[in-house]
Amino acid sequence: MTSLSIFAPSGSRLLRSGFLLPALLVAIVAILVVAPLLRILVTTLTPEGLAAWKAVLISPLSANLWWRPLLNTMVLGFSVGGGCLLIGGFLAWLVVLTDVPGRRFLGLMATLPYMIPSFAAALAWGTLFRNSRLGGSAGFFETSGLAIPDWLAWGLIPTAIVLIAHYYSLAYTIIAAALSSVGADLVEAGQMAGAKRPRIFFGIILPVVTPALIAATSLTFAGAVANFAAPALLGLPVRMQTLSTRLFGMIETGQNERGFVIALLLIAVSALFLWLSDRIVSGRKAFITVTGKGGRTKRFPLGAWRWPLFAIAVVIGLLTTILPVLVLAASSLAPQSGALFSNWTLHFWIGEGGGEMAQGQAGIFRNPVLIDAIWNTIRLGLVVAFTTMLLGLALAYTIVQRKGSLLATLLSQLAFLPLLVPSIAFAAAYIALFGAPIGPLPSLYGTFALLVIAASAHNLPFAVQSGRSVLGQISADIEESARLTGAGLIRRLFAIIFPLAIRGLFAGAILVFVKMVRDLSLVVLLFTATSPVLSMVAYRYAAEGFMQFANAITLVILVVCLAASFLAHALQNRVQKWKQP
Amino acid sequence: MLKRLTNAALAACFVLPSIAMASDLDGLTPQQLLPLAQKEGSVTVFSLSSRIAKIEKAFEEAYPGIDLIGLDMSSTKQIARVEAEQQAGVHAVDVLYIADTPVVFTKLLEGKRIVNYVPPRVLNELEDRYKAPLLTQRLSTKVLMYNEKAFPDGSPVTNLWQLTEPEWQGRVLMVDPSQRGELLDLLTEIALHPDEMAAAYKAHFGKDIEVEGDLQGAGEQFIKDLFANDLILLPNSDVLNKSIGDVNAKNPPVGFGTYSDRRDNEKEGWALQIANNVEPANGILFPAVLTVADKAPHPAAARLLIDFMFGDDTPTGGAGFEPFNVPGDYATRKTIADHSDSVKLSELKAWTIDPAKTAAARGRIADLIITLQ
Repeated sequence: MTSLSIFAPSGSRLLRSGFLLPALLVAIVAILVVAPLLRILVTTLTPEGLAAWKAVLISPLSANLWWRPLLNTMVLGFSVGGGCLLIGGFLAWLVVLTDVPGRRFLGLMATLPYMIPSFAAALAWGTLFRNSRLGGSAGFFETSGLAIPDWLAWGLIPTAIVLIAHYYSLAYTIIAAALSSVGADLVEAGQMAGAKRPRIFFGIILPVVTPALIAATSLTFAGAVANFAAPALLGLPVRMQTLSTRLFGMIETGQNERGFVIALLLIAVSALFLWLSDRIVSGRKAFITVTGKGGRTKRFPLGAWRWPLFAIAVVIGLLTTILPVLVLAASSLAPQSGALFSNWTLHFWIGEGGGEMAQGQAGIFRNPVLIDAIWNTIRLGLVVAFTTMLLGLALAYTIVQRKGSLLATLLSQLAFLPLLVPSIAFAAAYIALFGAPIGPLPSLYGTFALLVIAASAHNLPFAVQSGRSVLGQISADIEESARLTGAGLIRRLFAIIFPLAIRGLFAGAILVFVKMVRDLSLVVLLFTATSPVLSMVAYRYAAEGFMQFANAITLVILVVCLAASFLAHALQNRVQKWKQP
Repeated sequence: MLKRLTNAALAACFVLPSIAMASDLDGLTPQQLLPLAQKEGSVTVFSLSSRIAKIEKAFEEAYPGIDLIGLDMSSTKQIARVEAEQQAGVHAVDVLYIADTPVVFTKLLEGKRIVNYVPPRVLNELEDRYKAPLLTQRLSTKVLMYNEKAFPDGSPVTNLWQLTEPEWQGRVLMVDPSQRGELLDLLTEIALHPDEMAAAYKAHFGKDIEVEGDLQGAGEQFIKDLFANDLILLPNSDVLNKSIGDVNAKNPPVGFGTYSDRRDNEKEGWALQIANNVEPANGILFPAVLTVADKAPHPAAARLLIDFMFGDDTPTGGAGFEPFNVPGDYATRKTIADHSDSVKLSELKAWTIDPAKTAAARGRIADLIITLQ
């Protein structure tokens, strides 16, 4: 699929699509991703920085500071990546390609876990499996007289399980988007040729969605290695450190250089794995499945397996969605966080202030800033999702167009890195880079624009990966025909590529939106206006020890994310009218 | 007053001319600052506590015409943000209300990113160590806490060295000191008192301590022994309080927590209590400081706000201090009374950290605990 623009008939066109867009993208990525990374790298080249490199890699500290956390992190990354691929892939196949009952309901449940913060899943684990190691009230199993060993209550295994439960929905979202573009004609062709079902699955469907599988695995891998809440809550009590807890701790205790060194090393290691996975994909033939024709999805009849598979999917959903949401809801209703299921009250939601409850704090719906915060959150999420997707789409398009070239490899690598940069370092680099006026450009310090730029860069990987997984399947013929009729790049993007790839784009947009509305650190560091977003309100409650209010806000955030997700689905169906049965 | 003003003006002649303008303001009373601050029109503060919202209301009522913009963020984020802003030549924040003083000392004060200012109004009501190098508004704690319902006869621990014995194996909790600055400061402080730790060892075991070759002093030996006794590390103080304080617990652990968290006992069903009678000390008092950012855009309003946050002359400190006046935290201003239902500051057996000394010793202890994990 390499573009042979060198042989293109006209020079101006060559300039327009063959050269200008990639050059522009390289510049944008250089500014948004490379510059902050370089800045972080430069801070580790000072004398203190060099001492930090030494301390991390070759000193008596190395084992506990770098090697053991690295091992834990990689075990987590691979087990979560693999687990998410299996569970997310299984559910995506079930919902998109089979006649399982309650498909919509299953699909909804499968998209939810990612919207629930990972700390909720870790808390849910605790309510079941917490043992007496820390004292305090034990979990459900210990209370029922079943002794839970430390390895099941704390450490690597529960952390991996909780992270899979949190991130598999990310894999589901991306894989489902790709599966929905596997046209019925492909499958039917296979069936006519007499291929059996496994053969169709492994011979046709799987190769077609390989880019999506790789994208899903790399994103969940990155999510798992960067996640802080789960390893901190479940790992620290048995002294399990991962690179993310180490990194956080180093920055929190004022040892920034060491933190940055760990971050850079983590980026390097992850980039290596990513490059390897890229090699696997680019080494194969690309399969074109989105041809603009038909596009019906063929559903396999499951026969006797319908209900058993439905039951499995429901159990997964119950454990990973309903249980954490229940725990969250309970913790917003129970006056005492040690006894989640007793003395429930709605006070924290709608109670009047001034009484005995919660030091006279009124419920969140009586908090005058709540509505304001909801709107701010939605606005921020939408703007960032939009800009990120626009940039991500352009990047993904270029990467797919020039598959295998150095440029594509470089862009795809760079576009993936921001996920792994700690947001505090990212934000600090942005302030230092763009806080001062650059030439004719004004200082962006404290503006909404700076926040949007930084957030877009930070969330770029979602957009690029989900864009790639779908764009890779779009046939070049359609674009070629459009090009011959004289349609320019912008026109082609909006009239052809955008509608065909919308499912993947929206999948990415939802992921970005969710990450943005939940993530606090960038907002706090980059924004000076006092108009709060929801995550800030939650942080304020939590900082004062009002966990119930904070958890209630978290549920509000969940509802906002869900609403956004529904909206995306509705829009998608309107754009892809040809998909209507 | 006039004399003090002249003094301030004289002093200003000897410091850098660039901050002469600001230091002229240092000697002014609130009444003199007010018109200048009103001309400036606003003041921006980064605050470690979200209770800054209450201060905003009170400040704007007391001094109409000055808009207080309060942004709450953790000390770590404040430091990162101020450093990044000033590197970009941006001077947007006026006041920092911040803890993590050892890091503030090395990264901000030594880097001349902040200026220490002591309001003349409270000059004579503060001990010297609370005026320099950083102005301390109040003190918080990281001290040994136990469950008073499970141990009705008082703290089961009266000497820190007990925590290294089999009886307390796996039953001492602490938020991971490699994750949180205050706990690293606590261990650093223990290491900074080798003689007291050695004396406490002798009092408890009846013999002199033998310190291992690669360790410096009895304090470091204690840290090593504590880790070796299956010290349990936690992600946050919420988990710690629940584990120690649970009223239904039969044989609960002890741990190093925050004294003022006791105020949630009733709400949460805890029975947290301070173990005050502990040799040689039960933990640390650490400062929350108020400081002016270098080249603050609103220098007069910044000083007026700091003055305001030291409260009025009443025993509670009035609207400027009350939001921070909780039992278990301590005002540095002598006119503000300690809470009746908490241990008096003078009777609290905790060491008060010195940001400069802690900063100098902290790195070594940070490295030590990494090797012990």
